[in-house]
Amino acid sequence: MSPATSDWVERSAEEIAESVREGKATAEEVTRAFLARADSTAPRLATFLHRMPEEALASARALDARRARGERLGALAGVPIALKDNICTRGIPTTCGSRILEGYRPPYDAHVVERLAASGAVVVGKTNCDEFAMGSSTENSAYRPTRNPWDLARVPGGSSGGSAAAVSAREAALSLGSDTGGSVRQPAAFCGVYGLKPTYGAVSRYGLVAFASSLDQIGPFARTARDTALLFNAICGRDARDMTSRPEAVPIALDSLERGVKGLSIGIPRDILAGEGIAPAIRACFERAAAALRTAGASLVDVTLPHAKHAIATYYLVATAEASSNLARYDGVRYGLRAKDGNLTQMYEATRGQGFGREVKRRILLGTYALSAGYYDAYYLRAQKVRTLIRRDFATALEKADALLFPVTPTTAFPIGEKVDDPLAMYLNDIFSIPASLAGVPALSFPAGFDEAGLPIGLQLAGRPFQEETLLRVARAYEAADDAAARIPAIAKERA
Amino acid sequence: MPIDVSTVRKIAALARLRVEPAEEERMARELGAILTYVEQLQALDLEEIEPTSQVTEGAPPALRPDEARPCEVRDEALAEAPDRDGDYFRVPQVV
Repeated sequence: MSPATSDWVERSAEEIAESVREGKATAEEVTRAFLARADSTAPRLATFLHRMPEEALASARALDARRARGERLGALAGVPIALKDNICTRGIPTTCGSRILEGYRPPYDAHVVERLAASGAVVVGKTNCDEFAMGSSTENSAYRPTRNPWDLARVPGGSSGGSAAAVSAREAALSLGSDTGGSVRQPAAFCGVYGLKPTYGAVSRYGLVAFASSLDQIGPFARTARDTALLFNAICGRDARDMTSRPEAVPIALDSLERGVKGLSIGIPRDILAGEGIAPAIRACFERAAAALRTAGASLVDVTLPHAKHAIATYYLVATAEASSNLARYDGVRYGLRAKDGNLTQMYEATRGQGFGREVKRRILLGTYALSAGYYDAYYLRAQKVRTLIRRDFATALEKADALLFPVTPTTAFPIGEKVDDPLAMYLNDIFSIPASLAGVPALSFPAGFDEAGLPIGLQLAGRPFQEETLLRVARAYEAADDAAARIPAIAKERA
Repeated sequence: MPIDVSTVRKIAALARLRVEPAEEERMARELGAILTYVEQLQALDLEEIEPTSQVTEGAPPALRPDEARPCEVRDEALAEAPDRDGDYFRVPQVV
């Protein structure tokens, strides 16, 4: 007997796909359950910029018809998934949270969108994000802020806040975001879900609207370690259309995640933990998690990341420089907003002046300055050299340890409006997430506990290139011993 | 390192980005604060260090042959144009 329709939103992606493949459930009934949930919660959370109920039901019915014909369905058959609005979906609005792309419909699908279609996943909508992925709270969306399902007065994190919140509230079983300096891991931590930044090159960026090309990676959000691996498997690997994507990125065998942590060595970077500004609840959660992993059979070893303290400065030169180049294409000529004003140059200036929000403008100007004549050596080149040192720090630490354990964020989710007026204060949120981005190594945020206010705490595991399996294996071992990932926000417990 | 409004104007011109006069002071202040923060990198000894511009490990993949392929989505792409003239994007005069 199949579960009550409303219970489908509680099932893992793995269970849903198996049920649909075996004919125990139709993709349509599963999709309807998640659409009904989003009908109730999305207006309050503002998770979506564009919902796709008709397309989702059409996809679901097509899957059911294929199954009825005896076809074998894919690994994510019938699983509702949400996509961050900086991922191109053909014919479907893709705004990147910006007014400069209001109404824009890409003429092509991103590589990951094609892969999801092949796997049988059902796209239910495009989620809200900080404009062009620039931000740590989703408050920089030109449209509206998204709210944290655990406390609607708080941010869900950013820039992939909508994708994180959608999974947390069970509006989708899975979602995709993008991570440049922490934009998957940080909202995952704030929303109490898993968020993975793959190794740079593990997932094709074809069709991901570019922010900083040497840092951007599309990453999965899910509610279990196994679901995270399932989604990673559906999107990873070499794509000829992205020259930075690598054949070394191969699917993870889900069974290998059950091996436990005996014999694994977990590195603890004591120097970055020594910093001030880490909330006591997060520090306590970290120590408990390290102890739990030791009890489970891992050995703990002290490591250092001596140049991590320069990561924010490095990032806000490298990423903004790359962004200033990538966002030069928004000029009002071929698509998106065009402001009518005088000659061509005036049109460019007016279009970009009107179409971009304040944070985007700040970063474009910073990046332009860092690359400009007379400043290139002092700023951009220097930052690229510090990046080399940060990469080396990780490589050295990961000779001694199979994975590093440290916080994702210095605090839990902060109130909406608290940090919008202080850009630098907002940037300092990224202190733990940026280093792994600069190094290009895989990093996972996993639900580890809650603070006194009942807000989720995420912790971070970073590992060797293309060793996402090790990170998920450690997280799975933690998940088996702790129920943080299983707890549900109140908004997701409401029965229609 | 603080920067002044005239510098903001120069960078904005380079970036083809209009910053409204009412926003210029604030932008100068905010950029100045960030530039002051990144000054910390000046103190490091980076003499022997190579810059990283790409974190991708391993040999670069083989390039595909330099063969032209038809663009299948030409009309769809042109349909997004703010001002289209057949196969062209129409823009204001250049000068």
